[in-house]
Amino acid sequence: MTHLSDSRLSPVAARIALTASAVAAAGLLLFPLATLGRGFDADPVLLHLTGAVTNLSANPDAPLPPTGTVLPLGWAALALLIVSVVGALRRASWVWLTGLLAAVLGIIAVVLLGQGLGEQTARIAADTSLRPGFRRQLRSFYEGGGMNLGLFLTVLGGLITAGAGLSRFPAWWERLNRLRGLLVPAVAISLAVLVGAVVVLIVQPAVNASGTPLTPWTGWLAKSDLVYFVYSTLFAPVTALNPLLESLKLATPLIFTGLSVAFAFRTGLFNIGAPGQLTIGAIMAMLVGVYGPASLGWGLLPLSVLAAAAGGALWGAIPGILKARFGSSEVINTIMLNYVASAIFIFLIGSNTFTFLGREYSLPFKAEGFEPASEELREGARLPTLLNLLNVGADGTTALTAGPLVALLAYVVTRLATRRTARGGLIALGAALLAGLLTWRVGIPVTVIGSQLNASFLIALACIGLFGVLMWRTATGYALRAVGLSPRAAEYGGISVARGTILAMTLAGMFAGLAGTHYVNGGALDEYRLKANMPVSVGFDGIAVALMGQNTPAGVMAASLLFGTIDTGSVGVQRLENISRDIVVVLKALIVLFIAAGGFLSRRVTDPPPPQLAATGGGGNAAPATAGLTPSVAAQERATPNPNVTLASETNKDVTQGGNQ
Amino acid sequence: MDGLFAQLLTTAFLATFIRSVVPLLLTGLGGLFSERSGVVNIALDGLIIFGALAGAVATLALEPSLGSLAPWLGWLAGALVGGLIAWIHAVISIKYRADQVISGTAINLLATGVPAVILTALYGSSTESPKVQNALPLWGIGELRFSPPVFFALLTALVTWYVLYRTPFGLRLRATGEHPGAAASMGVNVRRMRYSGVILSGLLAGTAGVFLSIGNLDSYVRNISAGLGFISLAALIFGQWKPLGVLAATILFGFLQALSITLGGTDLLPPTLVQALPYLITIIALAFTGRSAGPKALGKPLDG
Repeated sequence: MTHLSDSRLSPVAARIALTASAVAAAGLLLFPLATLGRGFDADPVLLHLTGAVTNLSANPDAPLPPTGTVLPLGWAALALLIVSVVGALRRASWVWLTGLLAAVLGIIAVVLLGQGLGEQTARIAADTSLRPGFRRQLRSFYEGGGMNLGLFLTVLGGLITAGAGLSRFPAWWERLNRLRGLLVPAVAISLAVLVGAVVVLIVQPAVNASGTPLTPWTGWLAKSDLVYFVYSTLFAPVTALNPLLESLKLATPLIFTGLSVAFAFRTGLFNIGAPGQLTIGAIMAMLVGVYGPASLGWGLLPLSVLAAAAGGALWGAIPGILKARFGSSEVINTIMLNYVASAIFIFLIGSNTFTFLGREYSLPFKAEGFEPASEELREGARLPTLLNLLNVGADGTTALTAGPLVALLAYVVTRLATRRTARGGLIALGAALLAGLLTWRVGIPVTVIGSQLNASFLIALACIGLFGVLMWRTATGYALRAVGLSPRAAEYGGISVARGTILAMTLAGMFAGLAGTHYVNGGALDEYRLKANMPVSVGFDGIAVALMGQNTPAGVMAASLLFGTIDTGSVGVQRLENISRDIVVVLKALIVLFIAAGGFLSRRVTDPPPPQLAATGGGGNAAPATAGLTPSVAAQERATPNPNVTLASETNKDVTQGGNQ
Repeated sequence: MDGLFAQLLTTAFLATFIRSVVPLLLTGLGGLFSERSGVVNIALDGLIIFGALAGAVATLALEPSLGSLAPWLGWLAGALVGGLIAWIHAVISIKYRADQVISGTAINLLATGVPAVILTALYGSSTESPKVQNALPLWGIGELRFSPPVFFALLTALVTWYVLYRTPFGLRLRATGEHPGAAASMGVNVRRMRYSGVILSGLLAGTAGVFLSIGNLDSYVRNISAGLGFISLAALIFGQWKPLGVLAATILFGFLQALSITLGGTDLLPPTLVQALPYLITIIALAFTGRSAGPKALGKPLDG
């Protein structure tokens, strides 16, 4: 490995480090450093870097945790950040160190603060002189405390500065380069969060339960705390098991619809029909689950799941066939079919009777009662909840099996160990299966209240696997991707575009249809029946999920989990009086908007030339020339580029119609 | 059957019919400007919602001071907000060369969330605004009394035809959508034409929204557009991207909608299924007209 002659930071890296450090330093001064306690209405006690405490809570007398060590740490971090700013301006090579130190100081401050609050909580719990209700209130008051924007920005800015500084070293540059695919989604999320913050600042008045009037300065602190509160609440579900399970439950249908949209995207088709396909899938699952032969017992379940898949596939195939045969746009047709599906849905479960040409006919599908809903599913057609499935502690104690966790661990370890061996993936998979089976009866004791997360999550995982294998390991997948990248070239290569279009839409519909199993067989609508409150809008969220996941199975999974988390977290935001849960919908829309406008990131950043070219060109931050491609770059190049949907759609139309003209 | 025809020949049906056509026509003509300039505008439904919301909010805010003048300014506000949101679509798809369908879908997603946030912040309800005291006035005789956007819509259809085929602006707009390269070489500012087309679509779709919120009802309610934007888009394609074609197509779809509203009260057909009729007809119609070419450069970002 040759070393770069210029040991200074590249201009781009220096600019990133400068921005991150400067923003973090300003944040330390402008925003509250920490929250020392938070009441039920999100009323905070705020600590500023100067040591000033602003108590806006309804608890004016609550003793606050000691903050002695946190403040000096904050000042030290500020000093380091300022040094980083100077270093970044001079493009000094040591910036990574000061950035990293600032981040570490920030983390230490957060931990110390957490300890102080923990001591208060323990003290309250031990204090028997308090009324139980008041004790609970006081405990959640301290538990609501923690870092605030000041410390958060310090840690984040420090880490970004460190990363930008480290990019000077070839090994780190290589490592960071691998994360380049995350750049557009990450920037989109950040921008969406930023715009969302502005929305919150505008629509939400400051929380002040103390009754003392706010000066402009304390008013600003309270306002900025709102932003932190909203986002920390949205992302809070990852910190505890119960909300985490709830997040997984909300993520499950998103995985299905996300895969559906992504699958069509890969073939150059835009599937806006996931809501309709989901609806038809759910209706079919219900029909089989309620009216299937009871004698089948548990055999009814696979039949019902297959029916859901078939229903969705049919609803997806219609626009596929129409496009292949007549060249009519799948975009419009899928939208129209959404409305048709919704009409069928309401027709079936909305009423017991309907009139046709003046005569009244009866419909058997609606159950008794005021609410439009179907009959309950037969016992055999219900998916068990995941907790039931994984619960190995039979005698009343709740204990989850350690199997999946051990399997995951085994997979990761073996995969890393066999990275350079052929068939390493298969070996790792085998090891994971073995480890999982061996430890299935080993339980981890946990406290879970019970969750409606059901086995359709496992179906979703299977679909992720199916998507990956089908798309990247089979000839059919190769053909589909070829159609997506260039229909014309694919046609010349002997691939039937019409067949690809129909197949892709059918499979996309199947994925979306399977989401119906989550709602109907899985009882995610609180009952094992088809109900009118089925949130079909998850079909549209699938578009956001697919875009954010860059149309890869793993990406769809990650994006679904993110959306599931903020959907769960949005319940907590309701504590603020003037804000509606729809702030989450706005955030999702903004994420799509900013990803769509990914062009604002320079092409040099998102899609750089291969390192060999860059090195010969002698560009600032390029990795040194290496013989051949490094494994990671080769992997990057193997990854299929994403098709441009509209363009592909257009050419696709030309090609499919070519035979007819 | 006699009963049905008697019902269809009433002035009440005629009024329902005209009220169903108007928002479709305005939005469809808006979409026409956008798509003739070469930008797919799937965001029409969202633009209607934003227009409706802005119209109602502005009227509510101005009522105490301006009285019966308020809805007129509300109309202006609705149109302008529609234009503003369309401008965002234009920036993303023209400046950043993003996929136009995805950008439009993002705007539609935005339209499902933003109104709730604004309504909650302003009025404490996430589903509807308070009722306005001064809706747009109704002009006409007997049962045939309509708010001004109705007359505006009919006028717009004629003006659109004239502008598109009889003015230099229309010629340039059509050229931009058909062959941007050629248009540019003749000195047409293609970007500016596309921006104008998209923003015009926002102004018109916003007006359609204003008609829904303060011309037809007297408040903004959640999901007020009920998919009208998508039907107008279908009408636009059905009408072969021509002003008179759009007029004819929206009359057809408007008739079907009015029919489903009227039939909803009778025992002839299940109303839910009649509501699905316009969508089914669209699918079938698209199968036969899908081959008819729209503007050639539709959906393609500019090179360079």
